[in-house]
Amino acid sequence: MFSQTKQGSQSDFRKRDLLYLAPLWLLSLIAPDPYLYHKKEFKKKDFYYLGAICLAPLIWSDSHFHHLMVLAGIYAILALGLSLFIGYAGQISLGHAAFFGIGAYTTAILTTRYALPSFLAFLASALSAAVIAYLVGRPILKLKGYFLALATLGFGEIFLVIVRESTDLTGGVIGIFGIPWFSVMGFSFDTYLKQYYLIWGVLIGLFIFSKNLVRSKVGRATLAVAASEDAASSVGINVPRMKLQIFVLGAAFAGLAGSLFACIMSTANPEAFSLGFTVLIVMMVILGGAGNLYGPVAGAILLTWLMDFLSKYQEYSLPIYGVILTLLLIFFPDGIGTRLNVRLIYLIGYWAKKKKRDEGKL
Amino acid sequence: MPLLSIEEITKEYDGIRALDRVSLNVERGSIKGLIGPNGAGKSTLFHLITGVEKPDSGKISFKERDITSMEPHEISSLGIGRTFQTLQIWGNMTVVENVMVGMNRRLKGNLFSCGLWLPWIGRSEKEALGQAKEILNSLGLLGKWESMASQLPYGKQKLLELGRSLAMRPELLLLDEPASGLTLTEIRQLSEQISKINHEGMTVFVVEHHMGMVMEIANQIAVLHNGKLIAEGTPESIKTNPEVIEAYLTRHTPPHHIPLPPGGEGKGEGVRQKNDA
Repeated sequence: MFSQTKQGSQSDFRKRDLLYLAPLWLLSLIAPDPYLYHKKEFKKKDFYYLGAICLAPLIWSDSHFHHLMVLAGIYAILALGLSLFIGYAGQISLGHAAFFGIGAYTTAILTTRYALPSFLAFLASALSAAVIAYLVGRPILKLKGYFLALATLGFGEIFLVIVRESTDLTGGVIGIFGIPWFSVMGFSFDTYLKQYYLIWGVLIGLFIFSKNLVRSKVGRATLAVAASEDAASSVGINVPRMKLQIFVLGAAFAGLAGSLFACIMSTANPEAFSLGFTVLIVMMVILGGAGNLYGPVAGAILLTWLMDFLSKYQEYSLPIYGVILTLLLIFFPDGIGTRLNVRLIYLIGYWAKKKKRDEGKL
Repeated sequence: MPLLSIEEITKEYDGIRALDRVSLNVERGSIKGLIGPNGAGKSTLFHLITGVEKPDSGKISFKERDITSMEPHEISSLGIGRTFQTLQIWGNMTVVENVMVGMNRRLKGNLFSCGLWLPWIGRSEKEALGQAKEILNSLGLLGKWESMASQLPYGKQKLLELGRSLAMRPELLLLDEPASGLTLTEIRQLSEQISKINHEGMTVFVVEHHMGMVMEIANQIAVLHNGKLIAEGTPESIKTNPEVIEAYLTRHTPPHHIPLPPGGEGKGEGVRQKNDA
C-alpha cells in the first residue's frame, strides 16, 4: 500500500532524499516536550504544530510527500484511537485493523452500490464500526491482558475470513473498486494536496476531541481504570463500561480512518486489513509513546516515512525495518515522544552536515 | 436504624470458614474499629461490604438498602468510600487528579460533552479543581498538588488515598489498615485527620492492627477471631475482656512457623503490652 515510485535520474534521487527531511522536521515539531508531558491543557506549542501542519505541504510541494503525509495522517487517526485504548485505558487490542476494514467496506459498499454521498458514507462508517465494536466489546472486554489480546486477534481474523468469503457483499479477495473521491457539497478532494488538508483536518479535529477527553473526567477515569481497577470501582467508576466506551470510540476513529482510506485508494480489499497491518498500528502507538496523544501521530509519521524510505532497498527493506524498530525500542523504550525532540534535532544536524561533507568530496 | 448493618454473614473458602455468622452494626456518626489477629477475617469482611466478593449467606444493608449482591461501583456510588490495605493510588496521574477522580460521579459530562468541551464541562472542571485543592489543603498535601502521585513518599500517598475517598463525599468511610507502614508521627497525623472528618459528620469503619490508634479514635470496637465475632463494645471494655486477651495471646500458629526472636514483634503484641502496662 506504500507507493513505490521509481526515481528517474540520479539527480532526482538526491532531491527526493532531501524531501524525506520534511516529515522528520514535522515529527520533531509534533513530538511532545518531555517537560510538558503531563500538562493536559492546550499550549502555545500546539499552535506551532498546527502552523507547521498547515504550511508543510506548501513548502514541500511534492506530490509524493503529500501522498506520504496523507497515508501518515490516516494511520495517525487509527493510532490515535488505539492509543486511547492502549495508552490510557491500559488494555490491548490486536483487532483494530478489523474496524479500519469495516469503515473502508462500509464506505465502499455505500458509495458504489447505493451511490450515497461520501460524506454520509464517512459518518456511516464510524457508526458501523462503533456498533460492531460495541457488540464485540461487551463480551470480549471481560478478558484481561494476553487473553484480551488473543480474543481481539481472533476477532480480526474472523473479520478477514468473512470479508474473503462473502463475495457478494465485499467482492471477496479482489475487493471493491471505483470508490469515488471524497467530496463534500460538490467539492471533490481529487488532488493529493486537497486530500492532505482533508485528512489532517479530520485528524486535528479528532486530536482536539481526544485531548479534551483526556483532560476531562473521562480521561481521568480511564487512567484510573488502567492503573487499578479495584481503586477505580471503589470511587464509583463502572470499569467495564469505561473500557467499552473507549474501545467503541477507538473503533469509531478506525472506522473514519478506513472510510478516508477507501476514498483515497479508491479501493477496498482484504489484504489491507491483515494482522500485519494491526501490528503496524500497534507499533506506531508504542513507538510514538502510548501514554500521550502526540506520540501516536509522531509514530505514524515516522513509520510511514520509514517504510517508504526503505522501499527502495527492495528485498532488504524488511530486515532493515526490523533492525531499526528494535533499535528505536531500545533507545526510546517509552516512545520516541518523550526524548525525541532533543535527539532528533541533533540527528538532523548531524545528517545534514555529513551530507554536505560527502557532496563536497564528490 | 444503623447506617450499615451486617446480618449473619458467612463466607467459606475451600471449606475454611473465613467468616462465621458475623453480625455487626455501624451507627451513623460513629467511628467503629474492627480488630483481630491475622487471619481473623477482617479483610474478608471488608471485601464483602465493598462487593469485591459475595457472601455465601447473610445480608448486608446500607441505609436500609440491601447491597449484598451489588457490584463494587454501585456500592461505592451509594456513598461508601474506602481505602485499601495495599496502597492503591494512581501513580500515572498527578496528586490533584487523583483526588479529582474521587469526584467523578458528581461531575457532569459524558464521552461526547467532554470531547467537545461544551461550556459546562470547563466550568465543572474548574470547580472540581478548586474542591480538590481544598481537600489537599486540609490534608497538608497542597504543596505537591502538581507532582505525580507516584513521586510522593509512602505516608503522603496514604493521606492522598484518604483524600481521594473523601472527595467522593461518602457517608461511610471504610479504612483498611490505614496505619500500616506509617511512622508514629504519621500515624498521629492520620488519627487527627480521621477524628476531624468524623467531627464533620462522617461515619468511619476502620480495620487496624495498630492498637493504640484504634483505642484512641474509635468509640466502638468489634473483635474478630477465627471468623467469629468474640467481643463488641467500648475500647475500655475490649481492653479488659478476657476472651480478647486470650485470642491475642494464643494465636494459632502454623506448624512451620519460624519462632520470632525474643522481643520480636507480632501483630498482637500491642494488646499484651497494653495490658502489662
